[in-house]
Amino acid sequence: MSRDSAAPEVRIRDLTVVYKTPAGELPAVSRVSLTLTPGTITGVVGESGSGKSTLALSLLNAVQPPGRIAAGSVEIDGLGDVLRLDGEDLRRTRGRKVGYVFQAAQNSLNPLKTIGKQLLDLGRSHDVEDLRALVADAKALLGRMGLDGARVLDSHQHELSGGMRQRVGIMLALVLNAQVVVLDEPTTALDMITQSTILRIIREVHEERALTTLVITHDVGAVAEVADDLAVMYGGRVVEHGPIAEVLGTPRHPYTQGLIRAIPRLSGDISLARALPGRPPTLGTLPAAGCVFRERCEKRMEICETVEPATATYDGRSVACHAAGRPAPVKRREYA
Amino acid sequence: MTKSVRERPRGAAVARRVAGHVGRGLVMIWVVATISFFIIREIPGDPVQGMYESLLQKGMSPDQAERATAVLYGFLPTGSLWDQYVGYMGSLLHFDLGRSLSTPGVSVTSLIGSAAQWTVVPVLAGTLLSFLLGVTMGVYAAIKRSGKLGDLLALSGSLLHGVPVYVIGLLLVAIFTTLWPILPAGGPVDVAFVPGFNAGYIGSLIHHAVLPVVTYTLASYGGWILAMKSNVVAVLGDDFILAAELRGLKRGIVFRYLARNAILPLFTILALSIGMLFGGSIFIEEIFNYPGLGLLLVNSISTRDYALMGGTFLVITIGIVVANIVADLLYTAIDPRVRSGEAS
Repeated sequence: MSRDSAAPEVRIRDLTVVYKTPAGELPAVSRVSLTLTPGTITGVVGESGSGKSTLALSLLNAVQPPGRIAAGSVEIDGLGDVLRLDGEDLRRTRGRKVGYVFQAAQNSLNPLKTIGKQLLDLGRSHDVEDLRALVADAKALLGRMGLDGARVLDSHQHELSGGMRQRVGIMLALVLNAQVVVLDEPTTALDMITQSTILRIIREVHEERALTTLVITHDVGAVAEVADDLAVMYGGRVVEHGPIAEVLGTPRHPYTQGLIRAIPRLSGDISLARALPGRPPTLGTLPAAGCVFRERCEKRMEICETVEPATATYDGRSVACHAAGRPAPVKRREYA
Repeated sequence: MTKSVRERPRGAAVARRVAGHVGRGLVMIWVVATISFFIIREIPGDPVQGMYESLLQKGMSPDQAERATAVLYGFLPTGSLWDQYVGYMGSLLHFDLGRSLSTPGVSVTSLIGSAAQWTVVPVLAGTLLSFLLGVTMGVYAAIKRSGKLGDLLALSGSLLHGVPVYVIGLLLVAIFTTLWPILPAGGPVDVAFVPGFNAGYIGSLIHHAVLPVVTYTLASYGGWILAMKSNVVAVLGDDFILAAELRGLKRGIVFRYLARNAILPLFTILALSIGMLFGGSIFIEEIFNYPGLGLLLVNSISTRDYALMGGTFLVITIGIVVANIVADLLYTAIDPRVRSGEAS
């Protein structure tokens, strides 16, 4: 791990993103604070609708209408508060300083242009002087990901498979040497082998280039392979965040515990995996007061109905749960 | 090296494609020629018979009258319908459309030849103008769709799209030749000028062409703006546009991505619309007394001029078929997905 490098730190503070709905503006992300340690990969997991993609877009100040960043700041070393950037400054930051691998990277390419021409568009947009070197870099990156660079650059999107397009998306996010890279579901819709290849490449390039990386996923297994830190999101809040070994090994938040119990094991009976009861909240069903998770929580207490739990630090990770301070976390036998 | 390997099958594919289109086009033209041949001959009223009878009434003997009619038209309608059909098809193969009955002695080909310019030029000018205008306004309407300007543009499109072309023509005539007489009411050119390449003649040509061209333009403008608006809105929602923005591409480049993807489906409609405008030329040329194919067709129907009718139908059909072939080839040239789909 290259924590001693020039990788920038990313500090998200009290970030609140609201979406305009017929029922008024509802928060998709609520007062989230998260620090990405320089040179680490932070994974963000959560169910659909937990606000993880919105959080990812906030790092580029790119929340799409009807969404709106209502409060907070996203400070990146060397860039300042990204949420205060606009116009040309913001455009230059996107792509060049903060690389973004799109959620549906298979559809992130212009169907009418070859990959090479889109690469040149990218270079020209960011005033790259040596376009030949850019093409050479792109070919090298694609080569590392197991693709024939020259052939891929000469292809249109429809001539590439899903996994190839995904790698092209990753190449486009890295080729300008961005120091912060955000990957939104980089391996969704890929088969297991391609998935693990791509995760390995992400890890390698991350270490080689001393990046600060954020990986959004709903796949706990995938994130466990690459991340240093893990943040668990639920209902627009980060409910638990810390080194991945701690968070997955001894989860403190009841939601994290439930998530881990829900993973089917490769060996043993499938029925050992227990689904979390209930459904994740939607924007409209988020409780206005108290803990967002209490409806599905087996440890709920009276205080959970009225008071939203503050984030507190327990053995190296932060947890937002009234019950987290109490002893008796999940025991091994719960798996059996 | 790899390039030549790739290009050869691509060239062969294009040739195959063109050949297929031309073959299908020829079949279509034959079908239309056949159908119109039989329909036209089922229309009641026979000009040759009429001439023959009127000569009889003038006191000619039947023999004399028959000879006089034959001299006048250059032929006599004898033989069964089938024989006529075979003869007609045979001369079609030599690009001979027969002789006009209403203007005796003149070949249909030369009548159509002199009328075609008055239709083809205004129709193409009107189509291209309305396409450019409608597409540009459609992009604006899509981008400003939540504002007043966008609503106004879309409304203008819906209104114009709903108004029949002859109503637009009549309104324009009423406004610009009567209420505010700044444009000529009809005819293709002022007879005072000597035809030729001189400023006065050409100026008069353009002056007379303004109203027909504007009518053609307004007739299809509404369709373009509505189609382009919905295409742009659809492409705006596509992931690759957001991805392009998140990669920090310049606004101009993102706009080009957007416009090119949105405009693509319109090229197919462009071909169809040229065909529609040939149909519309029937109304527009009548209103502006413009001696094009549409007027020729109307006149040939009222005089029961079979040969001219068939010929005009045929030429309009050929125009539509050719426009479709051109549109499809254009599509192949600009959409890489169609291109490689054919090559593989």
